Amino acid sequence: MRRAGLLLAALLAPSAGATDLDDLLAALRRARTLEARGEVKITVLFPPRTVPTRTARRLPLVAFTPALITRNFTVSRTDGGAVAGRTTTRFDLLPKVGSRARWSLWVDQEWNIPLAYEERTATGDVARRAEFVTVNPKPVRVTVAVPARPVALRAAVDKALPGVALPAGFEPSGVTARADGGLTVSLTDGVNVLALVSAPRNVKAAPGVASRRVGTGFVWLVGNLPQDALAAALAGITGVDPSGLGTFVMPDASKQ
Amino acid sequence: MDDHTLDDVFARARALTPEDDGAAARFLAGHRQRAAQRRTVRAGWMSAVLASAAVVTGLLVSHPDTTLPASAAYDAYRSAAGDGW
Repeated sequence: MRRAGLLLAALLAPSAGATDLDDLLAALRRARTLEARGEVKITVLFPPRTVPTRTARRLPLVAFTPALITRNFTVSRTDGGAVAGRTTTRFDLLPKVGSRARWSLWVDQEWNIPLAYEERTATGDVARRAEFVTVNPKPVRVTVAVPARPVALRAAVDKALPGVALPAGFEPSGVTARADGGLTVSLTDGVNVLALVSAPRNVKAAPGVASRRVGTGFVWLVGNLPQDALAAALAGITGVDPSGLGTFVMPDASKQ
Repeated sequence: MDDHTLDDVFARARALTPEDDGAAARFLAGHRQRAAQRRTVRAGWMSAVLASAAVVTGLLVSHPDTTLPASAAYDAYRSAAGDGW
């Protein structure tokens, strides 16, 4: 009887009170159907660009993947203060392992949708930030699809790039063809992205960029990770055989 | 040297000898041969220079070691990171 009571308590425990993670995922779920509009200030320091700040009418897209957020991040909530004059809750996403970037989201307490995002490097420097400066009185209805996770893609990437060691927490999310005949494999940990590229030519060394020769071509890894973590992911690659990735390849939207 | 001796010298100089036969022809033949050799050497140099230029151009344009600027890597990252940033 006592054992049955303990079992019942264990079963009920998760639903006894929503965790900070549950609340964040609920807000992200709602953001797929409801979106704030107004004036958004967007600052991008990585990748570097000539003019880091610009304005837009809506928040930029971040392909939040709930299952990977649950697996890879510890979520905690604090008071977010006011964003564009509206009261918010701030959710901090700290990577459970590795040196991946950390994120903060400011969620409107009434609408339960994000009003600001911020991405910081493992050392705490801002990489990207987007926040509403002014917001329209009512959010608008939208339809945003949940990012697809092709289950067999991980095995196909391991076969195409034998010896690749994807940085802790990252999974492949898609493949696009490059104009130079190479391929770009997108990796995600639920929030952050990396670009894993096979190309006939090398690329210049720069912050957030690692590359090395493999066979007659080159592989690059680009993203907001420390240089040694990027280089370590490529160090063990022994060859490139993209034939198995053919069924996953999507045309590069930017080249159309 | 008197006038007679001089006349004899001039007379011998004017007289054709076996060595004079075909001298002009031999000179012309030699001249043509030397000119042909000069043309061959010049053509050889030109071919070498043109071939070297073609090799250098080929290396610069199509050799896989030609490194792309870092912006090529950042473009790949941006296409993976989502729109609107």
